[in-house]
Amino acid sequence: MLLVNNLSFKRNNNIIFHNISFSVGSKKIIHLTGKNGSGKTTLIKLLAQILLPSQGDIFWNGKKIKKNIFDFYKNTSLIMDTHSANLNLTIGENIFFWKKLSSSSINIKETNAILELLLLKQYINTPVGYLSRGEIKKLELSRLILEQKKLWVLDEPYSGLDESTIKLVNETFINHIDNSGMIVLSSHYLPQINNFESINLENYADY
Amino acid sequence: MQIINAIFALFYREYKITFRNFSDILAILLFFILGILIFVFSIGSNNEIFNQIGIGVIWTLLLLSNNLSLKKFYHDDFNDGSIIVMHMGGLSYELIVLIKIITTWIFVQCPFFLIIPIAAILLDIQINNIIYILVSFLIGSPILTSIASIAGSMNLLNNRNFTIGSLIIMVLSIPVIIFSVGIVNEAADLIKAQLNILLGILLLFLAITPWVSAVCIKLALQNK
Repeated sequence: MLLVNNLSFKRNNNIIFHNISFSVGSKKIIHLTGKNGSGKTTLIKLLAQILLPSQGDIFWNGKKIKKNIFDFYKNTSLIMDTHSANLNLTIGENIFFWKKLSSSSINIKETNAILELLLLKQYINTPVGYLSRGEIKKLELSRLILEQKKLWVLDEPYSGLDESTIKLVNETFINHIDNSGMIVLSSHYLPQINNFESINLENYADY
Repeated sequence: MQIINAIFALFYREYKITFRNFSDILAILLFFILGILIFVFSIGSNNEIFNQIGIGVIWTLLLLSNNLSLKKFYHDDFNDGSIIVMHMGGLSYELIVLIKIITTWIFVQCPFFLIIPIAAILLDIQINNIIYILVSFLIGSPILTSIASIAGSMNLLNNRNFTIGSLIIMVLSIPVIIFSVGIVNEAADLIKAQLNILLGILLLFLAITPWVSAVCIKLALQNK
């Protein structure tokens, strides 16, 4: 379980937000909202320890993640707004790399099923650079299932997706929650999922 | 076991990316050969001069072609965020840097072992001196790759001016050039001492490069 305790972040003496506290237990979705520049992406970078907080701590299973960083990473999938698939490699090669990197036990049949569901199966031997933006985003989201981690941290997962894929992504989230997973996601778009907890970052801004 | 899997996955990925962009490596090799040819044309056909400056010319061009591989290092992985994905896969930034140095040395520097003898023939360098050049390049090329790694990671901190990375490479390469050209020009009994100094520089750079580059990458990620 993830616990965020009194987290504050300052950049160039501008307070972006302060004293945010929340916890993510199993079967729980945290939805971060707020206008542009309210610190949604910053908070997600703080969760992944790319940025360091100016105050406060983040705990994973009772331990500070700063000191047990790889223990935390072993249970976390992070999807940023950039696509981390290499444009020179084919879809198959990118998936192979992600699979090996996270030592996931998923087999070829299952990956093929995922690609078929995302309508990417026919491009498996196509370099990612030839795909459209939406397709690259779909490939990026398939990493969630490939990595088989417990906590999903997502920045704007819905941007650039079409109606049917958004439905699919929501179903995947519900499925993950039912398997006692946890999700932290930021988006302007309200996810069509029951019982999520919304945190509006504008309430934590310091004026 | 997971970390060994991850290391091999990264090696395989680098290998695939390099061979998909094989023309990049060919361009670097072509730059080297064309540079040698330009020296040949501009100096003329005086064998005496080539015997004196040939090795210096080869090493200068090796350094300049090393500049060309600069962008290959961290730029793409940093911009698309895949360096974070690798890090979350259990590889520390220091380890990623080390793997990048090894793969770049194998895929970018090793082809020069075939090209250098050809360049040496163009410059009319004696056969036993060619062996000395190859030995000095064997020790010197990992140093050049380490320096390129440092410069490449420092470049992530500034997106506007790409020339600064090349300047860093030039400045840091001066000791390498001095001692590797020295091997061939010095008297025979001094060769061993020069090689030892060059090996010392290599060990120094292998020791500090992963830490320096990792710190630069972390800083660049924070300021992205």
